Amino acid sequence: MIELRNITKTYRKNGGLEVNVLQGVTLEIKKGEFVAIMAPSGMGKSTLMNIIGCLDRPTSGEYFLDGAEVDKMNDDEQSRTRNKKIGFVFQSFNLLPKTTSLENVELPLIYSPEDVDVKAKAKAALEAVGLGDRVHHAPSELSGGQQQRVAIARALVNDPAIILADEPTGNLDSASSDEVMNIFKKLNDDGRTIVLVTHEHDVAEKAKRIIRMKDGQVVSDERRAE
Amino acid sequence: MMLSRVINISLKGLSKYKMRTFLMMLGIIIGIATLTVIVSVSKGMQKKVMKSIQSFGSNAVMVSAGGGKMFGPPDEKVTSLTLDDADAIREQVKGIRAMSPFTMALEQTVIYGSKNTMSPVVGVTPEFADAWQWYAEKGDFISDEDNSSMSKNCMLGQTVVSELFGDQDPVGETIRVNNTNFKIIGVLSKRGTSPRGMDMDRRVMVPLTTAMKRLYNVTYIGMIRLYIDDSSRLDEVSKTVASILKERHHITPPQEDDFRVTNTMAMANMAKGVSKTLGTFLALLSLISLAVGGIVIANIMFISVNERKKEIGIRRAFGATAVDIRKQFLGEALFVTIGGGIVGTALGIIVSEGLATIKKMPVVISWEPFALAIVFSTLVGIIAGLQPAKRAAAMDPVDAIRG
Ligand SMILES: Nc1ncnc2c1ncn2[C@@H]1O[C@H](COP(=O)(O)OP(=O)(O)OP(=O)(O)O)[C@@H](O)[C@H]1O
Ligand SMILES: [Mg+2]
Repeated sequence: MIELRNITKTYRKNGGLEVNVLQGVTLEIKKGEFVAIMAPSGMGKSTLMNIIGCLDRPTSGEYFLDGAEVDKMNDDEQSRTRNKKIGFVFQSFNLLPKTTSLENVELPLIYSPEDVDVKAKAKAALEAVGLGDRVHHAPSELSGGQQQRVAIARALVNDPAIILADEPTGNLDSASSDEVMNIFKKLNDDGRTIVLVTHEHDVAEKAKRIIRMKDGQVVSDERRAE
Repeated sequence: MMLSRVINISLKGLSKYKMRTFLMMLGIIIGIATLTVIVSVSKGMQKKVMKSIQSFGSNAVMVSAGGGKMFGPPDEKVTSLTLDDADAIREQVKGIRAMSPFTMALEQTVIYGSKNTMSPVVGVTPEFADAWQWYAEKGDFISDEDNSSMSKNCMLGQTVVSELFGDQDPVGETIRVNNTNFKIIGVLSKRGTSPRGMDMDRRVMVPLTTAMKRLYNVTYIGMIRLYIDDSSRLDEVSKTVASILKERHHITPPQEDDFRVTNTMAMANMAKGVSKTLGTFLALLSLISLAVGGIVIANIMFISVNERKKEIGIRRAFGATAVDIRKQFLGEALFVTIGGGIVGTALGIIVSEGLATIKKMPVVISWEPFALAIVFSTLVGIIAGLQPAKRAAAMDPVDAIRG
């Protein structure tokens, strides 16, 4: 389902200095996998996630998503792909401020071409993450754990095949972390593909496969027994 | 994206930044309100002018003693306009349906019993009625017999009637003008205000001969009014009359005319000219305020787009296309301007009504300002919103989401 071949990403700093963040990443993730990507800070985890999520383009290399080459898609097609196939969860939640949980969760549905009952679906997604009683709360009225669950509901609401979580527990205490990880585990049990980035070992432990990166390359790929 | 969703997103965006939204609207509200007041007042003035021009008569040419001013009562010091002039005009100008030479003495004291009032006294022939299309509502008009016998019969305008007689029937009563008693034989129908703003119903009409010989002992007349059969000949007739009088009065340039010839068309054109100049100036003013309003909106929108970078990135991450983002911000600009347009029109109507009641200004409320408001505010919204919206749409999603 996700196929990366020799992906590189090079940033040019203001002074003209080049930073090779990704230096030939090749990896394949199949439908229904639960993958944790581990790397030290600043080593290009977010960059990789953005490329997988069709939000960013690699400098070179090929990326196939469900057999389609993402780099050949135009901006609109990539937007549609993000809307339909990808659900992002971020470390800093990235909820819209001054906006209720319900309206935050509605976001992917609003940009979906399908004419569905937006409110009902968003409400159901919030109930699925245990926030049926926080529908009309703004992010500032919710705890970190609750905010992240709203963000997960938002990632789920359009029923994407892949959840991309970039250090989803990075801003949470251990109880909230466990809650969030349990949700991911359940989603994976239901057949959803989950890719998460972390540098915490006990978070990575929950995944079925751990990919370690260093210097912009994959250094180990370990499948774990249940 | 569905239109209803775009509208929803834009309105929610505006509602989250209320103060900013209000500031953006302010310029448009002021501009559109000004525009509405201008249109309402100038339409009111136009209506007033048209009404008074109608009271002048649409097929009429007026000759007055004394040069200079455009219209109004004759200059009482000018003695050169005579009945012979009137006869010459009648002989030489074709297509005259009715012609009425008359005298006018302004500010005369009219006495009835213990009451008195001030009124012009007009000396007329029976043809006055047809020349002015103005007839007796009650009783009789001044007749040829009245003129040949220099009778002391008179007619009253309705303002004089109401001031001296109230609800009482004046016909048959006697009034006193210039130490002479006059018997009232008729009452004129109501005429309204003249183009100069004079109350035309404030008048006493006596036979022309009586006025010239008995009352004021003069050999000259004040005015001649022609009623012609074809309004398209107004200017031609006016020119002919002027050249006849120039010749008879031996006027050669650079000498100034001692008479003036006026017609409805000329008056209408002048009124139009004045209100056009004023209207253009004020319209320019409101367009400038709309332009300033547009610039303010564009600037605030740019600030807003930069501040809401992260929001744009988040929306992009969950599937918004660049076009969706553009629509959102363009929609916000349009709602601001159209909302401002609607509020501005309402405010303009309130101010216009206020001017009408407090300042007694003529005001006509119509649908045009509303249509103008919608057109202009939509234009300003598109022009002011397009660049900020384009900038928002062009943002790189990864950069944007970092904030
Ligand atoms: N737009 C950019 N321009 C220049 N350099 C960039 C840009 N974006 C990222 N980088 C650099 O690329 C490197 C990788 O960034 P990235 O955010 O992918 O790392 P990360 O592994 O997610 O780090 P963290 O653990 O802190 O989230 C960093 O050194 C960063 O400074
Ligand atoms: Mg990162």
